[in-house]
Parts: sequence; structure tokens; C-alpha cells
Amino acid sequence: MSAPRNDAAPSYLSLQGLSVAFGAQRVLDRLDWQLPSGQVVGLLGRNGAGKTTLIETLLGLREPDAGQALLFGHASQALPDDVRARIGYVPQRSDLFEWLTPDQLLAYFRSFYPRWNDAKVQGLMSRWDIARDKPIGKLSGGQQQRLSIVRALAHEPELLVLDEPVASLDPAGRRDFLSELVDQVVDRRSTILFSTHILSDLERVAVDVAFLTGGRIALHAPLDELLESSVRLGGVQADIERFVEEHRLQALSREAGGPVIARGAGAIPAPTPTVSVDRATLEDLFLALTA
Amino acid sequence: MPDPSLFSVVAGSAEPIYRQLVAQVRRCVAGGQLKAGDELPSVRDLAQALAVNPMTVSKAFGLLEAEGLVTRRRGLAMVIAEQHRHAQSAADRVDLLRPTLERAAQEVRQLQLPAAQALALFKTILNENEGE
Repeated sequence: MSAPRNDAAPSYLSLQGLSVAFGAQRVLDRLDWQLPSGQVVGLLGRNGAGKTTLIETLLGLREPDAGQALLFGHASQALPDDVRARIGYVPQRSDLFEWLTPDQLLAYFRSFYPRWNDAKVQGLMSRWDIARDKPIGKLSGGQQQRLSIVRALAHEPELLVLDEPVASLDPAGRRDFLSELVDQVVDRRSTILFSTHILSDLERVAVDVAFLTGGRIALHAPLDELLESSVRLGGVQADIERFVEEHRLQALSREAGGPVIARGAGAIPAPTPTVSVDRATLEDLFLALTA
Repeated sequence: MPDPSLFSVVAGSAEPIYRQLVAQVRRCVAGGQLKAGDELPSVRDLAQALAVNPMTVSKAFGLLEAEGLVTRRRGLAMVIAEQHRHAQSAADRVDLLRPTLERAAQEVRQLQLPAAQALALFKTILNENEGE
């Protein structure tokens, strides 16, 4: 597996030797990862791979057993208020105050931030049709999630972290949400970290993708490059192995049997009578890299 | 008035989104739907309309500019380049279609379908879209 990507640009976000265990189960295992600024990065991993743990540790909401997380050069465990105000977070389960109404909730959060874009908040609240004076506990899951997104965007964060933000949105709601992210990228050049298992959404907005498996970032690469350099090989195992070696490909799939997903440095090699070559999709890569 | 609805993207494809966009402009220029001086939508409008990352749209436009298909006019609008006044010859257009049909032919063989049946289906599909 290749090393996590290392960019010359100063990193907004850096995880160093991060380990987190729940009892005997190691979720993150000496994980190293750097994120460039101004980029939309998709974090991919299967259920239980540790995406939420990674995000929570990154934001200082969970203490690592070893290693450290840095945000804007500060340890996540002790973020100054002004740094905290530059971050927006949409948790997987919105833990909003259920007895408050959306209007009350937003007024409450507003008091914490030096910056608050009221026009944006009002616009999103009407456009996304969120009832303003119903207790939040009475809103649907989708509406609660939308409200959580409004709350995270209101203070115009430089870093936006979204943990499965679209899980309870229908396709139209996901589309609205993606448009909003696009706006965010155009207007504010925000850095966005976005975990999801809905690959089609990720493909539209992510420039980089990172695969979390076995407690580490197995691969972090620009999505376009990855798609252009990856192939799905079919045929008898021995033939495929010879083919991989001949063309100096790097096999990415770990499971025995099934198609082999491989990555090369040059042009896509031509198929032979015994080995079929197709371009790999993000789904192929996801299955291969997170097995 | 540039119309973003000329473009569409498919997620889940092995072809990156920026390449899909480049190929669509190439086809529209070859077919004469886009001609010299026609404006492309702005990066922002197209990114919004397709819900894709604006950097992806910029990348596609950059590639089209490098290919000489479009030029950047003062301000920021991209327009179809001067030399593309007319649709390309039918032979050139057929060449552009070939890779897609080659892929389809490969699938026909894998499915062991008789050629006549595959061609009949292609005809039906062509007519379906005509009616739209």
C-alpha cells in the first residue's frame, strides 16, 4: 500500500500515529494522515471501519490512546475558542437539543460565534422547508439532519467535517445538500472532509478520496487519477498474476478469488486472450481497498 | 444564453467526471450543436446545475482550452473557438462514436446475443430518443 499523501501545502489537519481502541478492539492503529487545505476529501470505509472514531478524534471529541491530532497547528484536545469557531461539524446522529425549536437552537448557537451568516441561515431554512417553531424532537430524521447542516454552515467555517451527512436525506435532499457544498467550495474555498458510503454523492464533489481500513489510511489519492490508473482484471488467477507482473501493476484487492483491481503508472494495458481488462470504477476500488 | 442542460454526468462510471464533460463538448462541437462564438456556462453555473465540484468543471474547461476547442474570452466566459464554424464531416463524427460502440459490441459478445437482436435494440433506442 502506498503511503498517505504528502503535500507541500501547509496541512490544516494532521493525524500522527493515532491509535484508539475500544477494549481489546483496535479501531485506529498508528494512523498517519495529512489533509491539504481548500480541498474536498471523501473518507471511505466500510461500516465499523472507524470513520466516526477518526472524525471524533480529529475534532478533539475523543481522546486517543496514542498519537495526536492537529487542527490548524493546534492539538485537537485543547483547541482555543477562535480556532474552534473556524470549524463546522455535522455529526452522524444529530444530537440537537430536542426540546428546543430550530429558531431557539440557532439563536443559542449564534451566541458562540463571532461570525454568523443570518441571510444564509434564513435562506436555507426556507429552501429546505424546516419548521421553525416545532420542537426539534418532533421533526423527521431528514429535517433534523438538514437543521444540523444549517447549524454547521451558519458560521462560515473554514473546515467543514461531515460524518455521513446524507444518511437520512432522500435523493432530492441530497442533491440540495450537494449544491450547498458546491457553493461552499466556490464562495469560501473551505476544506471539506466528508465521510459517506454513498459513492455517487462522493464522486460528484470529492477531489481526493481516502480509504480507511485496518485502522489506517490505506490510500489517499486524487479521485480522477485513481480512476484513470486503475483496472479490473478478469481471468484465471495465474494468468492475472503474470499480467500484473508483466505490466508492473500494483494489485489492490486483497480477497482471493473475484476480480483483481490493480493500479498502474502508465497507460491502461491492452487485454490479452486470457486476461480481460476493464477500467475500474470507484465501487471496484472501494470493494478492493476496504476488504 | 448558455444552457447547462447540454451537459450531464453519470456517477459510478469508470470515466472521471471531467472527462465526461470534455467528451460532451467535443461531441456537441463535432455535431454542430455548439459553434464558434457560442458561450459555455460559467464554471459556477455548471457546477451548480450538475452538483459537482467546481474544480472538476475548471479542469474540463482547461483541457478543452488546451485542445483548442474553446477559448477564454475577456471576463471569464469560455466560448467555442473560431475555427469550429461548422459541424464536422459525417466520417469524423462516426469516428467519435466508434469507441462507445466497440464497448457495446464487447458486451453483446459477452452476453452471446445475436447481432440482429442487438442492432434491433439499438434502432429502438435511437427512435425512443427521437420522440423526446
